[in-house]
Amino acid sequence: MKKLNLLLFLLIAVATYAQAQEYSIKVSDTPVQMKIGETAQLEAAVVDADGNVVPDREFIFYSRNDKEITIERNTGKITALKHGEYNVTVRSPVENGKPLRTTIAVSIAPTAISRIEIGEAPANIYAGVTTPLDVRVIDEAGFERPEVVVDMSSSNTDVARMGPFFKLMAKSAGKTTVTAKVDQVMTKVELTVVENPIVTMELSADMTEGRSGDVFTLTAIAKDKDGNEVTDAPIIYSFTGESYDVSSAPSGLITQEGKFVADEPGLYVVSAVCGTAGASVTLSANNRNVSRKIDLVGRGSVGDKHTSDLWIWEGQDDRDYAVTGTWGADGKAYFWDVTDPASITRIDSVQVDARTVNDVKISEDGTVCIISREGASSRKNGIVIIDVTNPRDVSVITEFTENLTGGVHNLFIYKDHVYALSAGRKYYSINIEDPSQPKIVGEFELNTPGHSIHDVWIHDGIAYSSNWEDGVQLVDVGNGIAGGSPSNPVQFAEYAYPSGSNHAAFPYKDEKTGKFYVIMGDEEFPYGLDPTGKKPSRAAGFLHIIDFTDLENPKEVAWFKVPFAGSHNYWIEDDILYAAFYNAGVRVVDLSGELLGDLNRQGREMAWIVPEDPEGYVPNAPFTWGAQPHKGHIFYSDWNSGLWSAKLRPVLPENTKVETK
Amino acid sequence: MKKLLITGLMLCFWSAQSQDYYVYVAAESEDEVALIKFDGKEAKVEETITVGTWPAEIEGPHGINVSPDGKYWYLSLAHGNPYGTLYKYSTETNEVVGTVKLGLFPASLQISKSTGLLYCVNFDLHGDMKPSTVSVVDPEDMIEIDRIETGVMPHGSRISPDGKFHYSVAMMSGELYEINTTTLSVNRTLQLDGVDLTTIETPEEKGYQSSYEYAKGAPKNYMYHSPIKPTWVIPHPSDEKVYVAGNGSDEILEVDLPEWKVTGRMPTGKAPYNVDISPNGQYMVVTYKGAQETGVWNLKKGKEVARVKNTRRIPHGVSISSDSKYAFVSVEGIGGEPGTMDVIELKSAKKVTSVDMGKQAGGIIFWKMEG
Repeated sequence: MKKLNLLLFLLIAVATYAQAQEYSIKVSDTPVQMKIGETAQLEAAVVDADGNVVPDREFIFYSRNDKEITIERNTGKITALKHGEYNVTVRSPVENGKPLRTTIAVSIAPTAISRIEIGEAPANIYAGVTTPLDVRVIDEAGFERPEVVVDMSSSNTDVARMGPFFKLMAKSAGKTTVTAKVDQVMTKVELTVVENPIVTMELSADMTEGRSGDVFTLTAIAKDKDGNEVTDAPIIYSFTGESYDVSSAPSGLITQEGKFVADEPGLYVVSAVCGTAGASVTLSANNRNVSRKIDLVGRGSVGDKHTSDLWIWEGQDDRDYAVTGTWGADGKAYFWDVTDPASITRIDSVQVDARTVNDVKISEDGTVCIISREGASSRKNGIVIIDVTNPRDVSVITEFTENLTGGVHNLFIYKDHVYALSAGRKYYSINIEDPSQPKIVGEFELNTPGHSIHDVWIHDGIAYSSNWEDGVQLVDVGNGIAGGSPSNPVQFAEYAYPSGSNHAAFPYKDEKTGKFYVIMGDEEFPYGLDPTGKKPSRAAGFLHIIDFTDLENPKEVAWFKVPFAGSHNYWIEDDILYAAFYNAGVRVVDLSGELLGDLNRQGREMAWIVPEDPEGYVPNAPFTWGAQPHKGHIFYSDWNSGLWSAKLRPVLPENTKVETK
Repeated sequence: MKKLLITGLMLCFWSAQSQDYYVYVAAESEDEVALIKFDGKEAKVEETITVGTWPAEIEGPHGINVSPDGKYWYLSLAHGNPYGTLYKYSTETNEVVGTVKLGLFPASLQISKSTGLLYCVNFDLHGDMKPSTVSVVDPEDMIEIDRIETGVMPHGSRISPDGKFHYSVAMMSGELYEINTTTLSVNRTLQLDGVDLTTIETPEEKGYQSSYEYAKGAPKNYMYHSPIKPTWVIPHPSDEKVYVAGNGSDEILEVDLPEWKVTGRMPTGKAPYNVDISPNGQYMVVTYKGAQETGVWNLKKGKEVARVKNTRRIPHGVSISSDSKYAFVSVEGIGGEPGTMDVIELKSAKKVTSVDMGKQAGGIIFWKMEG
């Protein structure tokens, strides 16, 4: 009997399995045609091998385009929201075998064009001047339709004619009607071209001779026949030039605000033109000649684990010390005597329950160290506060995990307060007037969708947080500019760039020009991990220089890029930038004067040094984490080799050639 | 006929002797996954797969599972900016073949054999005390098609053997959720502590911008923390029961599905964390995170038959082989210690061997037997 039952079971199982294998979902072969706003019922049926419908089946409908189509999950009722060609996936649960799945094509027709908008043209269109028009095509559903070809025409081509890309080329005084037409929909605007009053152009520069990277400020004055200035003249700036080096091409950047900077040393002719009036000046951009020799001075090797961030400070005993974190290891932080940068000596360490001590900071008076924890075995990460009054005998004062259990990636210490990131979402201000009794007093968190944060840096009572896609946020935590305090952080300015890679930020005020910049750094690894898992990945990304002089209108004005490398942490002191660029070591950059354009191409890089160590944790694999100048030396930490020190050689007499490495 | 029988027996004997077991184990603090082969005596890391895209950030591989056909393995990376990511790997090449962003701290995951969809809880371990979700993913197109709201910090989850119901437990709100895998909606909820959570106001209901703001003006225990703190749930392979790890109450809760109520409580070692039940329904294996032990239970008798000392501290996950012979247990370790996978033979309830791997071994899934 048992055998019979088993046989019966097997037969049923085989039959069920075979049946399941033969089932499929039948849907329409042709796309479902819809109009925006329409609702439709998608039809799907489970059929057997003979095409017979299997009754009482359930379905799940969905699409990756759920912003363009709304779908009722189990009924297949859909509503068309936006034109386009889409696929709806339909599944039917099974008892056995492979789940049933197919797709239904849905075609949503675009609506007819309803209107064409032409933006407001300048009040005075001067003859001889090309003016861009802002033309937008909108359909009946309200969608902008940039793909639609617009037929542009001018009723009087003696007055003006339309060129490609919606450029109106004014020729002579008079009236014309510009028509934008798509099928039967058209928009007309009456435009008046006036006689160009400008008969002369005067152009001057604030200097005729400078260096590559120096910003020439141009002043162009357009005048009419009576010698009066025409203040609304649409002046176009441009330049040509020749390089002083026959093996290089002249290059630079000119803005329509009248700023010119040369990348390449050379002789440049800068022009200002309005209609037929124009003027030029010739400018010389000489070699910037800021290259300096840099010497490796000393090192404190860490070869058994990854090293993270560093901080250098002068101790209570006037000697100089460093603390470095460790990464993906055993929760240690190391303390070093760096008084003699040529003889860096490890003097103490702490070990906490963590796998990564990503960040380390020291109080202004050099007595308190804070370190961040990630990977705690208890999953309660937080921070650890350490007494470093005697760096040779440091001691943990306390740990603090309240609201910080998710891991603290970065932190800062400023005027008896710790600013600690929490789980990459926000930062808390923590009062440590009594370091043994830390107390949260405030928090700052954005409310944008999917916001996250990577770093916070405090200077002069302003917190500069780096928030990936939300860019840098300037928050008053005691400066007074916006009435903020540690317990009441008040955001007052921000800037974000499209890549969304903002990882670090450092403020910089150029005392000579009065310009206030925030240097925003990327962190990017677009090439993925090393497939062997043994070498560091190649980083990308660069430093963005944002002019924050007008806090309400910050503007990205310059960049510092290193080919085949990516930025990480950096420091600015005395108009010099010290930037860790992961695979490319430390880059030392001259920031003096106004900043505009591509700083590296301008020859502003003064020196670079790459830490390579055959006995590193990963041998000969530089991956520089951060750099900090201190008393004439540059200290830098490297992921695979520990702490290093270097020194720039003195400035050489002008035009002295330096053999670079 | 006799020769045939002898040959068959020899084949069976040879087969039994040369059986290899393959297991994927995630190293949460190393951003690695180890493919481990166990030959019945020794375990060896066959391949280490580095995962994620950020070499200088720990992305935290957490949940791991293999597709029902064994062709792909899926891995949740908990950390992102801010959202975590689900990765799809080929078991043939161990290379990434697809990714999709999910919610905050995606954790345990599984594909339903009924719908073919993947269900992954968004643990949101470090977020505010508010309900999180279960993401529903098409594992072929790697698109997230829905998010189903459940409780606060949903961690452990598994799907019923027929693929029709997804069970998850919310660690902080102390709830067991049953989701219908076809309607993609919550079918039933069971508050395991017997508390009416609707009487507890959320920060939003109190008018606070965040839980911290709420905390400043609220009594000390301002948010509900389940004393049971359920961290895992597993349906029985044939009985209509699920078993829940009461990480905070040191017990396994047996929940009868037709009655939808707790019908049994089995005291365990300290802080039970993950649970697996052998395919034959005979054994239940429970990791005791707070005791450096793993409990082997005879499920029919409802009795713990042995506590096996783990190689290191903090045992984490457990996955049992398809022949119900071995339990593979991931052990996190502490600080700079390596992670470890212990192999426990279920019949003798003894540790057979162990193998070290990347730090903080956590998510673990048995893949296949071969040989």
